[in-house]
Order: sequence, then C-alpha cells, then structure tokens
Amino acid sequence: MKIGLEIHVALPTKTKLFCRCLNQDNEVPNLNICPICMGFPGSKPMLNREALRISLSITRALKCKTNDRVSFVRKIYFYPDLPKSYQITQLYEPSGFDGEVNITGKTIRIRRIQLEEDPAKILREKNYSLLDFNRSGVPLVEIVTEPDIYSEDEAHEFLYELRSLLYYQGIDIDREMKADLNISLADERVEVKNITGIKNLMDAARYEIKRQSLLIEGGRQVLKETRSYDESRKITETSREKESDEEYGFIYEPDLTEYYSIDVNIPVPIIARHIAHELSVSYGFNLKTLSELIYFDKDSLRLVEYAKNKYDSQSIINLLEILKRFDCTSIKDKVFDALMDLLKRKIDITKETIIKLEKGMQIESVYSSPERIDEIIRAFLQKNTDMVEKYKKDRKVYDFMVGSITKNFGLQSKLVSERLSIVLKDIIDNN
Amino acid sequence: MTETIEEFASVDKPPSYYEKLNRDINELNNRLHAFNLLSKIDRGVPFSVKDNICVNGVESTAGSPILKGYIPPFDATVVEKIKQASFSFIGKTSMDEFGFGTFGINCDTPAKNPFDEERVAGGSSSGAAVATAILKHHIAIAESTGGSISAPAAFCGVVGFTPTYGAVSRYGLIDYANSLDKIGVMARNSSDLRYAFDIIRGTDDYDSTCTNRAIENFSTNKLTVIKELVENVDSEILEPFNSLLDTLKGQGYSVEYKSLEILKQSIPAYYIISMAEASTNLAKYTGFKYGHKNMEFTENYNLFFTNSRTAFGTEAKRRVILGTFVRSASVKNRYYFKALNIRNTIIAALKETLKDSLIISPTMPVFTPKFSEVKELTPVQNYSMDAITIPPNLSGLPHMSFPYTYLNGMPVGAQIVTDHFNDYALISFLEAWEKSFKPKFKYNIGAI
Repeated sequence: MKIGLEIHVALPTKTKLFCRCLNQDNEVPNLNICPICMGFPGSKPMLNREALRISLSITRALKCKTNDRVSFVRKIYFYPDLPKSYQITQLYEPSGFDGEVNITGKTIRIRRIQLEEDPAKILREKNYSLLDFNRSGVPLVEIVTEPDIYSEDEAHEFLYELRSLLYYQGIDIDREMKADLNISLADERVEVKNITGIKNLMDAARYEIKRQSLLIEGGRQVLKETRSYDESRKITETSREKESDEEYGFIYEPDLTEYYSIDVNIPVPIIARHIAHELSVSYGFNLKTLSELIYFDKDSLRLVEYAKNKYDSQSIINLLEILKRFDCTSIKDKVFDALMDLLKRKIDITKETIIKLEKGMQIESVYSSPERIDEIIRAFLQKNTDMVEKYKKDRKVYDFMVGSITKNFGLQSKLVSERLSIVLKDIIDNN
Repeated sequence: MTETIEEFASVDKPPSYYEKLNRDINELNNRLHAFNLLSKIDRGVPFSVKDNICVNGVESTAGSPILKGYIPPFDATVVEKIKQASFSFIGKTSMDEFGFGTFGINCDTPAKNPFDEERVAGGSSSGAAVATAILKHHIAIAESTGGSISAPAAFCGVVGFTPTYGAVSRYGLIDYANSLDKIGVMARNSSDLRYAFDIIRGTDDYDSTCTNRAIENFSTNKLTVIKELVENVDSEILEPFNSLLDTLKGQGYSVEYKSLEILKQSIPAYYIISMAEASTNLAKYTGFKYGHKNMEFTENYNLFFTNSRTAFGTEAKRRVILGTFVRSASVKNRYYFKALNIRNTIIAALKETLKDSLIISPTMPVFTPKFSEVKELTPVQNYSMDAITIPPNLSGLPHMSFPYTYLNGMPVGAQIVTDHFNDYALISFLEAWEKSFKPKFKYNIGAI
C-alpha cells in the first residue's frame, strides 16, 4: 500500500495574501473584501511578507530545500469561486522542496511546499449557489508528500508529527485543514479529493483501504479514478471528473517580482520530536510521557527547558502533568518553582493554588497557617545553620533572615517576622 | 509644465474658459472620436486618461465591449497623484480594445488623425495622441505595451514618452501584458512632459514591480542607428530620417551604425509573451461581476463563461486563442520559455549598446496609413508595424517618439531610446531638439 498526501493549511496572518483585507472568519459574507481579492480590473496583488515568512519557516521545519529566489505563477482555470480565473500559486521556484518528516523507523519525504491564495467559498443551495469572497485571497500553504506512507498507523503518526511541526509555526491544523489523499493498494492510484479535517482524512483512508482490499481479494480491478468523501455516510464515491491531466497553462505571475529567501529572517524551527529525544537522552525523561506533554504545548516545553537543570526529570513530569490537567501550563517560572516546592513537601496542589500563586496571593491562602510557615522557616534554617550561629552573636542579622525567607518562598514579611522569632527561640532553647 | 502650470493654477481664469474648452472638445470629439467620455471640467490644467486606466467613478472599459458599464471604485495611482497636483480630469481617451492594435481601429469608433481624417491616429493610445494634438494645454496619461505610446504620438505629431518599466506604478491599469505594460505621458513639449513625469513616477505600495530607483540624466552625444531597426523602413520615411541624422550631426552629435541580429527575434518574442499574459488577464472577464453581464443562468458554468466571452472583439479573441496555445504544457518550452530567454538576450544586447549612446530610429516603418489601407493588412503584416517600437518595449527601456518633420502635411516621428532609469536623458535630448524645431498643430483648443 502506498499513500501520498496533499495538505492545505491556512496561515495565521493578520491580512490576506495579496491585499490588506483582514484574514479572519466572518459570519457576515463578503465583508472582508476589496478590489484586489475580488479581482477587479486594474487591481494588482502585493505580497504579504509575513505569509512568505511563515511558508519559508514551515519549509525549514520540514527540512526542505529552498530556492534563493522564490517566484509565483498563475494557474489558469475557470470556476465561479476564482475571481481572476487564475489562482496565484507557486510552481517553478516554490517556497520549499525535497524535505522530510521523521516518524518511527522511517522518513516520509516531502515533495513540495507552496504558498498560494484560497478561492472564495461556494455556498450551495438547492437551485442556486452563493459566493462568499471573505475567504478569497487567504494565504494557504500546500504540503505535498511523496507516496511514502505504507500503513494506516504510519499515516496517523505522520499527521501527528506534521500537526506538531505546524503547531510550533503558529498554525492550528485542527481549525481548518483540507487534504487530497492518493492511495493505491494495487497498481492504480485512487485520488480522494477535498477532504476536510484530520478525522475525515483518516476515515477516508480507512474506507479506501477496505474498499480496495475487498476488490483485490475478489479478484477485481481497482480503477484509476478521482473520488470524493461523503462525511455523513463515511464513504468515498466516484466523482465525475475527467482523468486526463488538466491543462492549467501556468505562466510566471508578472505582477509579482522574485523574492529572495535569504532576506527573510527565520528562527531555528522547533521540532518537538527532536527536543523530546534529546531531553530523554540527556536528562532521563520518559520519552513517551514527555512527548505527550510537549508536542502541542509550547508552554510546557518552555517550563521543561527552564526546569531541566534545576529538578529531576520525574518531578518535572509529575508537576507538568498536574499543570496540564488544570490547563495551567502558561505559568511564570517563579510559580513553577513554588509549586515544585509544594510538590516536594507533598502538599496538595489544586487549581486554586496555582491561580492564587499566579496572582501573587500565595501568602494568605497557601501558607496562611502558622504551622506551615514554621515548617518552611525550620527547613530554611536547617539548610542555613550558619545564620543561626550568626544570629546568636548578633541580633541584627534577624532582618536579613526575614528578608531571605520572604524572598525565597514568596511569603509576607510580616508573617515571617512574627513566626521567625518564635522558631529561633525554640531552636536555640532546645540546643 | 512650468509656464502652463503658472498660467492656469495661479492666475484666476474666468469659468468661461472651461466652458469654451468643453464645447470645443465636444464639437471635435464628434469628428475625431478622441474621447469616449467627458466629465465636467473643473479648474486646473486639463488631463486626459487612456481608457484602460481606472478613474474612480468613471466608466473604464479599456475600449472593450466586455467591460461596458465597469465603474472602478478606485483611482489608479497615477490618476490619484495627478489629481492631487491640481490637474483637472477631462475625460477618458479611446483606444484599441485592451491595447491590442497599432492603428486604433480595434474599437467601436476609431479615432481619426487630426491632420488628415482619412488617416489613422495610430494605436493603441489613439485618443491620447489626438487629444494632445488638438488641445493646447493638456497632459495625456497613456500606456504602452509594445509601442502604444510611440506609434500614435508619431502619427499625430506629438511627444510620446514611455518611461522605464517600474518607474511608474501600474496600479489601476487594466492589464494587457503585466510584464510589458508601462504607463507614460503624451505632451506637446519637454517642459509639460518633465512636469507630468515628475508627478506620476515613484514607488507605490500597491505595485510590487514599481521601484523607487533614482531616475538619472546621463547625457551623451553619441547616437547609434541599429541596422535591424531601419532595414525594413519605407524609403519615403528613411529619407527624412537620414536628413534628421545630418541635422543632429550638425548640432554636435556623432552617429554610429551597428547590427544587432538578435533584434530580428523581438517581434515573435514580444507577441508570444504579450499574448500569453493577455490570455490570462482576459480570463477574468466571465460576465457576472462587472462590465458586460451575461443574464443567461440556465446553463452550467462552463457554458455560461463561454457565452459571456463572445463579447470580446476579434483581435481580443485571436490573442486569447494564441496566448492560450503558447503557454500550453506541450509547447510551452518551444514558445513561452524560449521567448522569455530571447527577451533576456535582447535586453543584454540593447543595454550594451546603450552604455554610452542613445539608440535612434524612425518610430514607424511607414507613412501614416489611411483607414482603407490598414483594413487590407493581415494580422502578421499588422504586427510587423511594431518592429521598431517593440525592442525597447520588450526590454522595459525608456523611449520617446518626437516629431521632427512634416511630409505632405503629415507629421513624422523619430524614436530615441536610453538605458533603464536614465529617462531624463530623453527629456534633455528633447529640450535640445526643441531649440531648432517647432512642432505645428492644426488645432489649438484652449488657446487664449
């Protein structure tokens, strides 16, 4: 079995690809439109540099090669949702080519990554259709794989990896993703076009695997054809499309110049798979658990990076799992430390604790009981026995001790001051 | 436009002047078809706009029935700039449909040459040239893809200036061939030309191909005549052109002769690229968003689009078919890509020559033809009329046609070319030329 995918994702830019209309969902049709995304005669496209930057960044995350000069083409076809009757896309010098995504034990090759504009949305009614141009000109990236996926599991893992890579490029692939699925169990390739969402893509793949297996088992031929996926019935059906290669008559887009990829500043991409692997080797994290925590959570990843040299890996994982459960991974480092301390002392962490710590309200709530504060002070003094000795000689050290404890544990100095004298007296008296 | 600007902008003219101007233009328009729309004339120096350049709220059809009724909701960048400079928009000027033509005849009502109404005005910016030839104080915003400014300027005896590709924003231009289209100016003299060019040039946030590169004025006394540009010129045109060279030599210019074989390929390269691009630009005219509306909604969308496109004129249809062919997958390498390579070779060859000289030639290879003569030409004969104007246009090089003599009462123009972004050298050349040559006009509407 061979599967190849063509995946379209919308880029999270403020404005559209070639005009200054907002790139956002709008319930009111035809609100985010202008002469450019409507293709009015006289209008010209102007490239959104941020969209180009994101496309090149994805290219890098997927280990693609990039041309020094990136160019655009016109892809000409007639359809009511295409205002200029051509789509501005990439062909000869795309944003990326020859890349790869690693999954367990193998590599899925990426053939091409191209930046292009989305057409308008067609709303089909019974006897007529309506057009909504809010989507016209929204930047898309199309990611085309080689037919390197050989099983359902591999498809699943590839999509999981891809989603994580794109997540770290700021793209929510779950929000809107469209895919074309090329799948062949026998010699002939079947293409299932325009599948929306990962779940439907996997369902369509499963259906095709079953359908084609049954045909082969029954000694029948799998036909080379284009099919479509029916979400409600969870089946694929033959679409009445011609099988000949379509003639798009591509030419260079002469309204856009060439863009030098070297001029675009791209930070090193975050590849969660690699990071998880390195951390597990260097710090002893459990690979599977760590991966689950950081694949789709940049805050967790940040906390792991922050904590990896301070705490042992299992404690970090334990705390992160708690934070994740409360949906609280975006906390400050200081709060993380405070929580780590609570965890160490086996004090229960509740969502309320975290929220209060975040708001700087820890004193009253978390450490309000004099016994708890005494406990903290004793622990502190045990570590700093020299301070007690100094105190014995010079009572002026008292204020300094209050300050240190207050700062280290985020307590209120008044409370510390009250309890410290009692604890000190107790320690000195008992020695 | 120093003198004329002062005359109109600072001196308080009575409104009756504009009323008279309006009346005069209307009257002449009935005969010459230069304008296809006239707005109310306000105060300020009059300027006209070729019909393929958008003016907010004014029907802009690019001379095509398929755009009938298209009223753009925005000004082209050049129009915006020139309006801000207190010029007064007086109307859209007629043209060959989408710029497809050399004689101005590919439209409903072809403009007539003001020097002889049996003869063509030239194209595709026919109305712009006629308007410049009949109005005393006026700037015409025109556009050239393969010679659409030079040709009519030569036939109508005015100055036609086509700037470097990228020096003037194309935003708001209804595209013919985007990699070749250039907005330029027609005027009667160098000062008007310089004034208008300084207003319209410069970078634009709405056109990526428009640059902010400085425009230079590297002058030279060396003129080059290229064999391939003059060898097919009619002898009745070549004779006065040789006299022009003698006159220029007398004024201190040196003249060199040179052969550039590659220029023989400029007509096919130009027509392949321009038609390939034009056929994609014309794809958007599907008859349901603007312009010509197809109200037959009973068929499927493919038939609907096909039927809508019957509104194109013959030349437009020819270019859609040829342009679609040359970019189709099976022949693209033989035509489209090859033409792109030839263009690069031609640019390099011309730039080499232009390093230290200006290229001079007649503008048109023939004497201003009559309408009856033009009708007899085959498409290929028609296209060959652009042989001299195509090389600079294909290369995006700044060039200018200027009147230099009169033959049997008709003006004759010569074309001068300089290197990219050295546009001012052309205007400087014209300033020098004006010292010894005063153009004549049959009409001087607006003269007081």
